[in-house]
Amino acid sequence: MPEVAAPEQLPVPQARAGDPAAWDALFRRYQLPLYVYVFELVRHEQTSLDLVQETFIAAVKHLGGLREDRKFGSWLFGIAHQKCLQHWRKRTEVLCNEVPEPPDEFEDSPDDLLIRREQEQEFMNLIDQLPLPQRSVLLLHFIEDFSLEEISRITETQLGTVKSRLHFAKRSLRKLLEAKNENPA
Amino acid sequence: MKTPREILLVQHRAAGPKLDAIRQSVMNKLNNQETKEQSVPSVFVTSLLSCLKTGWQELFFPTRRLWTGMAAIWIFILMINFAQRDEVNSVTGQTVRSSGPVMSLQAQQRWMNELFADRTRPPEADRPRNFSPKPRTQAVESTVV
Repeated sequence: MPEVAAPEQLPVPQARAGDPAAWDALFRRYQLPLYVYVFELVRHEQTSLDLVQETFIAAVKHLGGLREDRKFGSWLFGIAHQKCLQHWRKRTEVLCNEVPEPPDEFEDSPDDLLIRREQEQEFMNLIDQLPLPQRSVLLLHFIEDFSLEEISRITETQLGTVKSRLHFAKRSLRKLLEAKNENPA
Repeated sequence: MKTPREILLVQHRAAGPKLDAIRQSVMNKLNNQETKEQSVPSVFVTSLLSCLKTGWQELFFPTRRLWTGMAAIWIFILMINFAQRDEVNSVTGQTVRSSGPVMSLQAQQRWMNELFADRTRPPEADRPRNFSPKPRTQAVESTVV
């Protein structure tokens, strides 16, 4: 299990100075979470690898545009998200915008949903069944525990929409899991 | 029990070696870019240094005594030149200081020029007079008187 480094520990200033070792450390830290996010959206291994590579190259090229070093993670995922959108545009597949209703209460922790070992594969299948916008928000929430504001910035959607999507995604995931528990066949 | 994050990352752990390869390729590109950026000035400095070394070895070193002698001669010439310049300065200082008699000589010369200029002028009788015709009556009166 790769450890999640605190944002303050990330060598972003050194990377800004062009230190290759710093870049290596940053890529090493984010390569798997980024790949998971991209793969769960595009569902193609080679395309996901290509998009991760493009994301890394774009990050090296545009690091000057990052204002706050501590937001490196969300910034990198934002690039990856844009790469996915470009990929979908090429395939004329569009992220549909459902009409959201912001929930009254919101569970903010990604760990409030714990999955048993025998449910792991089911969980992956259930994530695949979610609509793309909900899946995207849920993955960002699960993988890096990004805040709603960060997810809003990454996906370039309104905060209320993000909140709504995450709420409905979690609710539907929980329902599906419960249904599977009730009918294990 | 596992968190969703753990499940997601474990599910895709098999992609690790491929991701490492991608990271390596990006790092190679980054390093190549840096070496390219560094290479332009470094090549210039290296070529400049090699030119200087060649010049030293082929031009100066074999005839170093000759060059040293030439340099000594030039230094000697420059010293003489500076010394002479100092002398000229002192002389001009003297001329400035003795400018009083010179000025009087110049004034005398100017006076002489004016004098000669007056002499070269035609005399009063030879000068053309401005003739303004008068009425005849007045002219007669003047002749009678």
